[in-house]
Amino acid sequence: MANHRADEKRFLDDRGNSGPLAPNGLNPATIMEKPVVDRIIDCYFWKDQCFGVNEADIVSRVVDQVHFIGGTYGDSQKPSPFLCLAFKLLQLAPSDDILREYLDFGGEKFKYLRALACFYIRMTRQAKDVYRFLEPFLPDSRKLKQKRRTGTTLTYMDQFVDDLLTKDRVCATTLYKMPKREILEDLEVLEPRVSALGDIEDLLDGEDVEEVDPDA
Amino acid sequence: MQHLRAIGQTGEVKRATVDDVHERILQIWERLEEEKKQDVKTLGERLEVRKE
Amino acid sequence: KHWDDEDDDVDDVDDTDGLDPEFEYAQWKLRELKRIKRDREAIEEAEKEREEIDRRKNLTEEERK
Repeated sequence: MANHRADEKRFLDDRGNSGPLAPNGLNPATIMEKPVVDRIIDCYFWKDQCFGVNEADIVSRVVDQVHFIGGTYGDSQKPSPFLCLAFKLLQLAPSDDILREYLDFGGEKFKYLRALACFYIRMTRQAKDVYRFLEPFLPDSRKLKQKRRTGTTLTYMDQFVDDLLTKDRVCATTLYKMPKREILEDLEVLEPRVSALGDIEDLLDGEDVEEVDPDA
Repeated sequence: MQHLRAIGQTGEVKRATVDDVHERILQIWERLEEEKKQDVKTLGERLEVRKE
Repeated sequence: KHWDDEDDDVDDVDDTDGLDPEFEYAQWKLRELKRIKRDREAIEEAEKEREEIDRRKNLTEEERK
């Protein structure tokens, strides 16, 4: 298939029907909850900026329009451009090779592009691939703005990646339940994770992690 | 959809290849770097003007 | 600053990187250590549970005799 539909109509018509499934077996049209999808396709950003967009245009949109991560925000629960573009990715279903471009070549330059690709991968890939794709960015300490209903806060790429790997709900989206890392290690699907800090035994014995406040 | 066909759009958009995506990233990056350089220049000029 | 409406991008949060690289690295290191510690504790907890289950299983086998 060399073309995408410019709009989401057929994508959403496939709900529960025969639309192609994501690599993790989920239907991309129903990964986000219906009320959230309704808010997305009803918002101005979606209509104005996400129509007729392909995988390369995603890069332009992120650079120009995405200045924070988040799901819905404010009292009106407005969907963020980040969330709208994540929904667009669900519709476009980019290949792993394209995701690698977003993560690596693009992600080095544009942190919100990396964050978006990580979020999309967590929604659509199998657990072992989610760990393999995302963990290399745990050393990425760049700052990310995050908007929630209650206001704007600062987070970090490594924190966001960790949230995606360990939390149930991120950016107004319930993430499917992945097996814990240890289980995949026991099955020899994954090698134990090596921290960018190197040998952690010394570090953990030497410091009391609890007592230092990062915000102090 | 009808009004889009009327202006010559088919309601379809061409898929991008990996190369297209790579190219786009590079293009945007270079544009931003260029703008940054311009900004530094204009700032420099402004400071020059202020000195006088 | 309550006059800010929700669409106003004027907020106190600045996501510029590299303003204080040493501090930013120190903060990251702390986050990473906490993650490692948390993951290790989870593994230890799971092991303890497994041992406890084994112990109980052995007990009932003893009792059956």
